[in-house]
Amino acid sequence: MSHSRKPVLTGHISPRITRSNASGSGVIPFVFLWLLLTIGGCSPQQRDGAPTAMDSTLVIAMLGDAEYLNPVIGASVTSSNVFGLIYPGLLESRFDTSTGLLNFIAMEKSLLPAEHGAADGKRFSGLARSWSMADDHRSITYTLRDDVAWDDGVPITAADIAFTYRLYGDPVIASPRQQYLAELEGADSGAVDFDRAVEALDVTTVVFRFYKPVSERLALFHTSLSPIPAHVWKDVSPGEFRRSSLNQQPLGAGPYRLHQWSKQQELVLESNPLCRLPEPGNINRIMFRIVPDYTVRLAQLQTGTVDVVENIKPEDFQGLEAGPADVEIKSTGLRVYDYVGWSNIDQDAWNSRKEIMPHPLFGSPAVRRALTMAIDRQSIIDGYLGEYGTMCTGDISPSLKWAFNDTITPWPHDPREASKLLASEGWVPGPDGILRKEGKRFSFTLYTNAGNARRNYAGVIIQQNLRDIGIECRLEVQESNVFFENLRQRRLDAWMAGWSVGLEIDPLDGWGSDLDKSRFNFTGYRNPRIDELCELAKDELDPMDARPYWMEYQDILHQDQPTTFLYWIRETQGFSKRIRGEELSILGTFYNIDDWSLDPSRAVTP
Amino acid sequence: MLRYVVQRLLFAVPLIFGVLTLTFFIIRLAPGDPAAFFIQPGVSPNVAEQIREQYGLNDPVYIQYVKWLGNILQGDFGRSFSRAQQPVVEVIAQAMPVTITIALLTLVANFLLGIAIGVISAVRQNSLLDRVLTVTGLFFYSMPEFWFALMMIILFALKLPLFPASGLNTVGAEYYGPFGFFLDRIWHLVLPVTVLSINGAAGIARYVRGSMLEVIRQDYIRTARAKGLSERVVILKHGLRNALLPVVTLMGASLPFIFSGALFIEVIFAFPGMGRITVDAIFARDYPLIIATTFISGTLIILGNLLADVLYAVVDPRIRL
Repeated sequence: MSHSRKPVLTGHISPRITRSNASGSGVIPFVFLWLLLTIGGCSPQQRDGAPTAMDSTLVIAMLGDAEYLNPVIGASVTSSNVFGLIYPGLLESRFDTSTGLLNFIAMEKSLLPAEHGAADGKRFSGLARSWSMADDHRSITYTLRDDVAWDDGVPITAADIAFTYRLYGDPVIASPRQQYLAELEGADSGAVDFDRAVEALDVTTVVFRFYKPVSERLALFHTSLSPIPAHVWKDVSPGEFRRSSLNQQPLGAGPYRLHQWSKQQELVLESNPLCRLPEPGNINRIMFRIVPDYTVRLAQLQTGTVDVVENIKPEDFQGLEAGPADVEIKSTGLRVYDYVGWSNIDQDAWNSRKEIMPHPLFGSPAVRRALTMAIDRQSIIDGYLGEYGTMCTGDISPSLKWAFNDTITPWPHDPREASKLLASEGWVPGPDGILRKEGKRFSFTLYTNAGNARRNYAGVIIQQNLRDIGIECRLEVQESNVFFENLRQRRLDAWMAGWSVGLEIDPLDGWGSDLDKSRFNFTGYRNPRIDELCELAKDELDPMDARPYWMEYQDILHQDQPTTFLYWIRETQGFSKRIRGEELSILGTFYNIDDWSLDPSRAVTP
Repeated sequence: MLRYVVQRLLFAVPLIFGVLTLTFFIIRLAPGDPAAFFIQPGVSPNVAEQIREQYGLNDPVYIQYVKWLGNILQGDFGRSFSRAQQPVVEVIAQAMPVTITIALLTLVANFLLGIAIGVISAVRQNSLLDRVLTVTGLFFYSMPEFWFALMMIILFALKLPLFPASGLNTVGAEYYGPFGFFLDRIWHLVLPVTVLSINGAAGIARYVRGSMLEVIRQDYIRTARAKGLSERVVILKHGLRNALLPVVTLMGASLPFIFSGALFIEVIFAFPGMGRITVDAIFARDYPLIIATTFISGTLIILGNLLADVLYAVVDPRIRL
């Protein structure tokens, strides 16, 4: 047979797959389809010069979708970002970088003197005109602005706030923010007495009453949750609350309102022309695009399809800067640290008999100090995080300057000293080179959660470091859910994880001696002085009076090393350079997003 | 035949039911907790408990099973835990069209590409072209899809910006008009469909090649040639038609594979389809949604197999059902 006469189906093999096939000339459907796709598809984007929708749309890549656009029950990161722009707050909170304290600001009053003065060009965006704290610190009274309204024109009143706080406290609704109600009157006896605790005295006055004296800072922090419109929500029963379609079509008052939401795909906000809190958002549209895969988010930032991608890994900085789009890396922080957790107690004894016994390997503070000294933390930082990592000595962030103890010198990387310490604890090299004590080998598995490149990197270095002083450490990765459950059940001897700290210091959950109550004390660490210090600090009405307690607290943790604190991470966010006016804060990447603008910025899209 | 189909369908009901029951218990035995998200510092310990109460997870497992059974028999798959308590059926109804589009395009591309490569390989058996095609086919066949997808994105979205890296539409595509919107959508589907179909096509090509080689050695092909028919007619009409018989059955069998392939593709290309839902549901321990997606994929496998058997009987009269 003659080959030349049968070019039949050859042509449709795309030239991308193999170029070796040159004989094809037949026009077959697939080629046609291919051309149609390629040529036809390209056209929409190639309208050079003409303004496109992109010019007035800020596109933010998010890992997951929002669930409830409602401050009472919204819990995911995307939800918070979105409802924060739709619903008004009572106060504005800013992070005071000189002290590391949160500043709460009302229209005519602020807790701390404003850092840049009133002249920082920003207009106030909350509902409260002012507040006054009672002399006995058992109540706080807000005066609200009388010139603001929900988007349907109904004024925002004190009654909306009182109404919403009932929802925050309703056990059927199960708000993830019900902890904010913990000091309200009645909370000590199990149920908040809302008639007394949150009362709207008149249209613009609302008072919160506490069962005990509360510091002004905590009072402001806990009473400034966002309200939702009572007139819209009043007929929704608690049982139906989470199912209500109002969660998907929110009525708010903020600088943005919901334009369109294709679930799991994109959520578009548009600047709200009615907003007086303080004014409509600068950028016409903000689109949150859901892109679950990190590599793809990165590629989109590189090609300019999206403008903001959070949590860029340090190894990708170079590639980003070399890419076609103008991208810069900005960092905030320090709120996140990684650590190696050592079980302080024998978990089997605890889990089976509720008995406290020191862990056979990690039970002694001296051993844990030795482990910290054996681990070359600086080389993990230098090798992976570079300038975006800082040595960590405890769980109070260096950003919280008012409480951070900067007199502590980190344990040095000193394998020789580590070996000496271990020897003094009875750990001596056995025939196989691994340390032994009373016949027990110093050998364990270090667990971590799957999919974290940074921890994988650290894990390998830790394994090598420990090997050098005669400790056998196996690495094992677990799916995140499984890992977390194992931690909670105190089933792991040693693990590597991260911790994201709040801006208010409240560490008792993580170190408290009552192991049944301290849900996050995975190590089983117990030191009565730590419990005492936390309580003492909490009772101070002025944070500066609590400072000495936190200093001592950090010293003790440093000596006890319940965990090996590795490093603080500066979170790194990728920004397109066409964004102007972004101001990152430890409060979040999108902290002042309503003030951002796009360059070149164009008028409203078609 | 009709009897056979009805019989198979009736038999499928307890089978799917068994699968669902098994899934019901397995996911509840697996470590992880749907309310685990609410166990974090700064969130009251009561919240996780209240959430579990809402989801009905505080009942003993057998009570949960009886309740679930009652609902399922009424066709109620419940409400999703992780998606704002949306009814599961709605969640799936939103995702299905996306996946079906991808699956259909892939199916078509799969077979066109696979048959073409297979025929060429067979007709030019042992030539250089055949070997190149075979090796290339194997190369792609053995490549993990998610990796291949990422490579395609890096190549054709980043280095050579021809196609978008992800998403279903460009920002502002709603202003392009219906036709522009459609083209934009197709443009976004090129990379994912290519990835999915190349992999499957390589497998189909092997089948077609084998079956074609058998057919072109048959007497009736020689007869056709002897009649003086053009080579094109001989191969396409007399050869291919017969060679496709066993391939047709592949169509039914490949359905579940395409759906499972869509799993990775949808996560990587950020499509809000069934694959994404399944993956998210598993990570979030969203029990009702996991059961529902299992139901869909289980049904697909059973229907796919049935389709394969029926198609076989349809194309080959020697087979009687």
